[in-house]
Amino acid sequence: MRRPVLVRRDRPVRGGQPLAFAVGLILALAVGAILLMTAGHEPLRVYQRMFEKSLGDPTAWSLTLNRAVPLGLAGLAVAVAGSMGLWNIGAEGQILAGAMGAAWVARIGGAWPGPMLLTGMLAGAIVGGGLLALVPAVARARVGVNEIITTLMLNEIALRLLQWLIHGPWKDPESFNFPLTPMLPDQGRLPTLFGRAHVGVLIAGAVILVFGVAASRTAWGYELRVAGSSANTARYAGISLKRKILTVLLLSGGVAGLAGGIELAGTADRITEGISNGFGYAGIIVAALALLRPSGVAAVALLFGAVQVGGQSIQIIGVPASVSTILQAFILFGAIGAGVFVRYSVRLVTTGVDASASGDGDDGEATA
Amino acid sequence: MTEASMIGLLVATVSFGALLYLAALGELISEKAGVLNLGVEGMMAMGAVSAFMAAHQTGNPWIGLAAGIAGGALTGFLHGWFTVVLGAEQVVSGLSLTILGLGFSAYMGKNVVGRPPGAVLKPVDWGPLTDIPWAGPVLFGQAPFVYLAVLAGIATWFVLSRTRIGLALRAAGDSASTADAAGHSVVGLRLGAVVTGGGLAGASGAYLTLSLTPQWTQGITAGRGWIAVALVIFGAWRPGRAAVGALLFGGLLALKTRLQTFGVDFSPILLSMLPYVLTITVLIAISIRARNRPSPAPAALGTAYRREER
Repeated sequence: MRRPVLVRRDRPVRGGQPLAFAVGLILALAVGAILLMTAGHEPLRVYQRMFEKSLGDPTAWSLTLNRAVPLGLAGLAVAVAGSMGLWNIGAEGQILAGAMGAAWVARIGGAWPGPMLLTGMLAGAIVGGGLLALVPAVARARVGVNEIITTLMLNEIALRLLQWLIHGPWKDPESFNFPLTPMLPDQGRLPTLFGRAHVGVLIAGAVILVFGVAASRTAWGYELRVAGSSANTARYAGISLKRKILTVLLLSGGVAGLAGGIELAGTADRITEGISNGFGYAGIIVAALALLRPSGVAAVALLFGAVQVGGQSIQIIGVPASVSTILQAFILFGAIGAGVFVRYSVRLVTTGVDASASGDGDDGEATA
Repeated sequence: MTEASMIGLLVATVSFGALLYLAALGELISEKAGVLNLGVEGMMAMGAVSAFMAAHQTGNPWIGLAAGIAGGALTGFLHGWFTVVLGAEQVVSGLSLTILGLGFSAYMGKNVVGRPPGAVLKPVDWGPLTDIPWAGPVLFGQAPFVYLAVLAGIATWFVLSRTRIGLALRAAGDSASTADAAGHSVVGLRLGAVVTGGGLAGASGAYLTLSLTPQWTQGITAGRGWIAVALVIFGAWRPGRAAVGALLFGGLLALKTRLQTFGVDFSPILLSMLPYVLTITVLIAISIRARNRPSPAPAALGTAYRREER
């Protein structure tokens, strides 16, 4: 009997990841088209509208860029931790914590001049996000507690803290009992660049650039990768793992927190329950698709921003916005599926009587 | 605090506990086989919408339950296919499954939002037992899901700790190469565990739309899938301890809406943080103790297995 098995290639297919990504995109569009057709919509018309409203003109671009900011920063946060082999699943909560940190500064500094207030708010956002990552960081560095679950749990804790604040102490007295905070003062909003795009786009771009350079061109980035690939090698090279884990997770939380601050000061202008809108979870997909590389994070964040903005624009023609959520997930699943064949090839092997012999042969090839 | 409101609290504790326990058992089985599935929320949502729509179409709640289990299992299969067969990162695949499940269920159920249910699963009739004070309504006045959860818990404990297939499953989660060398199919065991886990999460979702709520709205799962993930850790990967945790967390959910009637001046929102705070505390405590004794977590949890890269 012959059956297919996956055999690791000697080296991944060149240009394979963008290719896998394209396969994912096409697959997602195909699945989306089937869904749209079964619901009685014309897929081409829907996709055309999504494209026009997200990338068709400068206004559309400005919306997409704004949306790419939290996605890109959340993706970067996940990528920074990921380059050391750590999973920060807590970007969602850290974004909320960042928004809360920025809003807190705006509450005490409502009368400050613009530059001072904005700087303070963004600093507050970074501190807020970092604070939420503090417990997972210390727990992982000191007692080896798995950071996946702690950061995940803190998402729910941060969400409830935010809900409590906007239902209680921070509620806008003039909101007719809606759970939201008062609007930011005018000087506490990020200036616009063009269309709806705000300065946060430049800030996020700069942060991603700095981390990209730091990760690939500095000793710090090198140590990070060493620590991520082998704890023993890192110890042998004199790299303090505990300190690295601590700084990387705190930095990761701070970057995600910054996303929350920018979202508040650039787009939302006040805190509502939906201020993050799943950016933190989408950021994990962004980072995974970008193979944890900062440059890739920026590109994927732009695409996801376009899909999300496009997804909102089709609600007017009666298509649920959930279509864009489904598209995002299928892009990833398609890319994962295609990505496997970047690193592995399919080979038919004989199984049965001489299964062990052919199995050994495979071992030899795989390690060669 | 009247006797009636106290009984109401206990009834709700048991029903919320069963809701969480069903999903947590599914996650426990999956993790025992070595597969972390952060898609519980998505599988629950798919189970909830499938169950509601099937019951809506057929008018038969049992067909609804079957559809809910199938919806959750199919969603789980996707995670199993990508992580177990293709070796994708479990964390990424699981979270995508949550995003996909929440989005897909919203899309599927967009025409039945707020509609009255086609059928509901009524409480089981235990005859005179229901009239026993306190125990009657709390233990015998419940929907079939509660008894399903109890049976599933006992079955999970029995299969995992008393049968050969349970041993093989735990081996796949602790040391996949050992299980492989012993002649078990790691792929088959893990895939089976993930799909079973999906089915249980689907049953939990069906409980929401066929009995507890019973209605479909987008995002009906409201983060309970994450509590189920927490419960597995809180229960140290043991079905019995997870049951105790489910009653505790279920009690917190039940208490949340009743704080005011009991005259307690504490924010229900802050109270609902407690399951997550407790889980982090337990996780840290487990890790501190693990310095001296083995951790209860499956050793190979979260890692893909390829025979060629052994």
